[in-house]
Amino acid sequence: MQNTQARVLIQKKERLIQAFLAGEAPDFLEKLTRFLDEYFFTVYEKSIAARKMVASQNPFALIALGGYGRKEQCIHSDIDLLILFDTAVVPEVEAFIQELLYPLWDARFEVGYAVRSIDECIAMAFDRFDILTTVLDARFICGHSLLYSAFKEKFRDRLSAKHYKQTLDYLFDHGIKRLENFGDSTFLVTPDLKSGFGGLRDYHTLLWYAKIKSDIKERRDLEYYGFLSHFEYETLEKSLTYIWDIRNRLHHITGRKCDTLHFEYQTEVAGLLNYRNQGELPDVEVFLGDLHAHMDFLKQVNQITFEDIVTNSRIRKDPATPRLTSTAGLIIQKRRLYFANTVVILQHPDLLLKIFLESGRRRIPLSIEARRVVTEFLHLVDETLKTDPENVKIFKKILALSFWEFNVLNVMLSTGILEQFIPEFGAIRHKIQYNHYHLFPVDKHSIRCVQVINSFREPGTDVITTLYADVFKEVRNKNLLLMAALLHDIGKSDPAKEHSKTGAAIARPILERMGFNAAEMADGLFLIQNHLLLAKTATRRDIFDEETAIYTARKVGKIRLLRMLFLLTVADSMATGPKAWNDWTENLIKDLFLKSMRILKTGELASKKSQRLIQRKKKEVLALLKERWHEQEIMDLLKTMSGRYLLYMPAIHVADHIRLFRNLGNRQFIWQVSTEEDSDIRTVAICGRERPGFYSKIAGVFFLNRINIVASQAYPLGDTHILDIFKVMPPRDRIFEREKWGKAENDLNQALDDDHFLDTVVDKIPKRITIASGRRPEPNQVRIDNDTSSFFTIIEVLTYDFEGLLFSITDALYRSGLNVTVAMVGGKVDQIMDIFYVRDLENDQKIRDPEKLKLIKTAIIKRLPQIHAKEVENEKN
Amino acid sequence: MKKIEAVIKPFKLDDVKEALSEVGIYGMTVTEVNGYGRQKGHKEIYRGAEYVVDFVPKIKLEIVVADDRADETIETVRNAANTGKIGDGKIFVLNVEKSVRVRTGETDTDAL
Repeated sequence: MQNTQARVLIQKKERLIQAFLAGEAPDFLEKLTRFLDEYFFTVYEKSIAARKMVASQNPFALIALGGYGRKEQCIHSDIDLLILFDTAVVPEVEAFIQELLYPLWDARFEVGYAVRSIDECIAMAFDRFDILTTVLDARFICGHSLLYSAFKEKFRDRLSAKHYKQTLDYLFDHGIKRLENFGDSTFLVTPDLKSGFGGLRDYHTLLWYAKIKSDIKERRDLEYYGFLSHFEYETLEKSLTYIWDIRNRLHHITGRKCDTLHFEYQTEVAGLLNYRNQGELPDVEVFLGDLHAHMDFLKQVNQITFEDIVTNSRIRKDPATPRLTSTAGLIIQKRRLYFANTVVILQHPDLLLKIFLESGRRRIPLSIEARRVVTEFLHLVDETLKTDPENVKIFKKILALSFWEFNVLNVMLSTGILEQFIPEFGAIRHKIQYNHYHLFPVDKHSIRCVQVINSFREPGTDVITTLYADVFKEVRNKNLLLMAALLHDIGKSDPAKEHSKTGAAIARPILERMGFNAAEMADGLFLIQNHLLLAKTATRRDIFDEETAIYTARKVGKIRLLRMLFLLTVADSMATGPKAWNDWTENLIKDLFLKSMRILKTGELASKKSQRLIQRKKKEVLALLKERWHEQEIMDLLKTMSGRYLLYMPAIHVADHIRLFRNLGNRQFIWQVSTEEDSDIRTVAICGRERPGFYSKIAGVFFLNRINIVASQAYPLGDTHILDIFKVMPPRDRIFEREKWGKAENDLNQALDDDHFLDTVVDKIPKRITIASGRRPEPNQVRIDNDTSSFFTIIEVLTYDFEGLLFSITDALYRSGLNVTVAMVGGKVDQIMDIFYVRDLENDQKIRDPEKLKLIKTAIIKRLPQIHAKEVENEKN
Repeated sequence: MKKIEAVIKPFKLDDVKEALSEVGIYGMTVTEVNGYGRQKGHKEIYRGAEYVVDFVPKIKLEIVVADDRADETIETVRNAANTGKIGDGKIFVLNVEKSVRVRTGETDTDAL
């Protein structure tokens, strides 16, 4: 039942929207409000039902509530109406509502209405907060205007007589609740333009507060009544215009009342507002950055409001006379910090910093007045002040005082002094990273990161937080860590470049200004440049592979750096958001840290010296193989080789082994026997596919062929192959040596195919041996070390040399279900110390079960012959 | 249709994704999960305190494909996720009764 008036309204609205889209309707909200007013007015004028009610002495007033009352009507905003009667509602109103609202509903306007008497309405307003706030925004449209004035008057009387304090409490509690609901979380990337923290509601709240307190009528009055300074009012106007514009576009795009700027709309809105990057594409990051700057201001408005509520109505017990603080020039009044006067700031500009230190120490916030003053006097923070060691010290102290519950740094950020003190910080101010991962703009994120690190000062509540607390205690230079946390993302201003690298370059002069010495600076820059190292390595490489930990340990190089890097990584991830930080990533990063720490603490594999050695060796190998190999192929192979191997193996042999590996083909193994020039010893290099018992079978075959093993090493070659090096005495029969080796090769093939091939050989191992020592023989010893390595159980066997020794031990290991990954076998004179790095065959890990460790120990001991000394035997005889 | 669930090592995700896209499979669901299998948890010691890791971090992939593509998909995942070591993971294959694309209402293989 669309009537003419509704049609007119729809047409006017449509034209207005077109004008708005063309950028020709800067006063859209007011205009749409006026069109609606005109509709209601015309319908009222022409309504027979209305005339009847007036004639029967039942006058009424049509009143706009809420946003419509404030004349802030966006495209799909609700229209809230109140039809107000003096004392009683009459049933004839039904017909009027039909005339008035049905056409609007048919045209899909969202209209809500209430029909009440004055007393009813006032009673409800003081009972329900949502009604109270709509009433505060009430505006007369048409009808009996005296009713409206009477209503307003009565409302005010009741408010000031009975409900003033209660209403302010209401407003305050509502704000707290809102903070809880929308608070410190995700609004930033998909901001809620209305209800979210920093949304329009912040401004509404100030408006309501001003209406309750001073009965102001219009937004403009906020300045006239002193709720905002001139500058603040101007900024408010700008921010509101900006946010309303976005809200309107969002309504238009979604075709409904949608106030959350979801991801899928951000690009379109950015494009509509003419945010374009160099490629003419919508620049969402800059757009969101601007939006946040405006929302940030609304948040400040909210703080101003709440502080005002607190000082004016809630805290009465605190003495109104100012208290002095330990810092001359700063005073405390009503639990807020103030400058004693502004002249004192001109004399002592360092007060602009000291007030934050005082605030952090006492956990007393700056008064709004003090914040304003800080912003006004920013220019006093000049080069001299910034580089004064005393002030740098103050800033470092402030960093250490920034906690979740009470964060001075955030206030420093919003007053602009942080940026003034570290101008480089300005480039990441309000910088948004447009993805689902980062929930906070870079500046806020950096400050959160500092907060998290400070939270490690608290003793842990569970195993993992205890670890953080413990590691934090061990960090000597906490200032440096905090500074690195503040600056770790400083390179994000330029998204085109790798931010960790750029960041280090930007941070250098900052750290210099902050008075860090050369060594500290090197550490700090390392932290900034590598702040992603642990997180990346932990998620992208196999942390169960020893090489990953060695790589990390080498890259970090120093224990103190690893500690700091770990805490920075944890803090960075925690401050980013739940996608970056959960149990899953926590476990990975923690594990990598602990493993790398162990490598660093035990030394050799990660030391600078060994790194240099390995690098040099790689180059040598490359030079040796260059002619017949592709460089990439060699590098790829070298990458799969363990650090231990590259550290100890001469380059020329590495080259040999690489050739051997290439010739392996489909065979189970391939070996190369070489003679060393000045000795009788043969070196057998064996390359083969990794399989359980490989190493012990070689030892068995050598024993079977009476080839005496002098020394041996085993190394993994990538994930799938293994390289074993044996130094052996040649077969006794030199004439047929070649044939001997041929037979041994054949035997090994059989042994690999048949697990029982060497069974009979086991029996040939001597049960007792006699040594020629004059002393009492040392007993056989088997030591198990589970602490040195995160990856292997290390078994050391101390015994006397005998034929078949290596086979005897490794066979015992194999039968106990262990895989030998690394072996270092060699003897001094007659006593032998063999070291094996083993892992459980079943789960490819260290052996943890004490029962199993005991069994392994016994199994080895059992296989070792009894030792007798010659003299002792003689004595017996 | 078959649903292929693969639990793999985290650092193998990129390899697997790439291998799958090479055979024309782009859609999958990826979840960070904690596993407990033959590759049991372990512990680390820091300054005398033990840090036990009960579960091993893994990635779970869920891919739904037409019946005739199942074998190829399984093979692709297996090859890409394989390091030859314990803990490389497992692949499960389930029958899928029906699938519907929410936006269009297309069903079964059209909805994949």
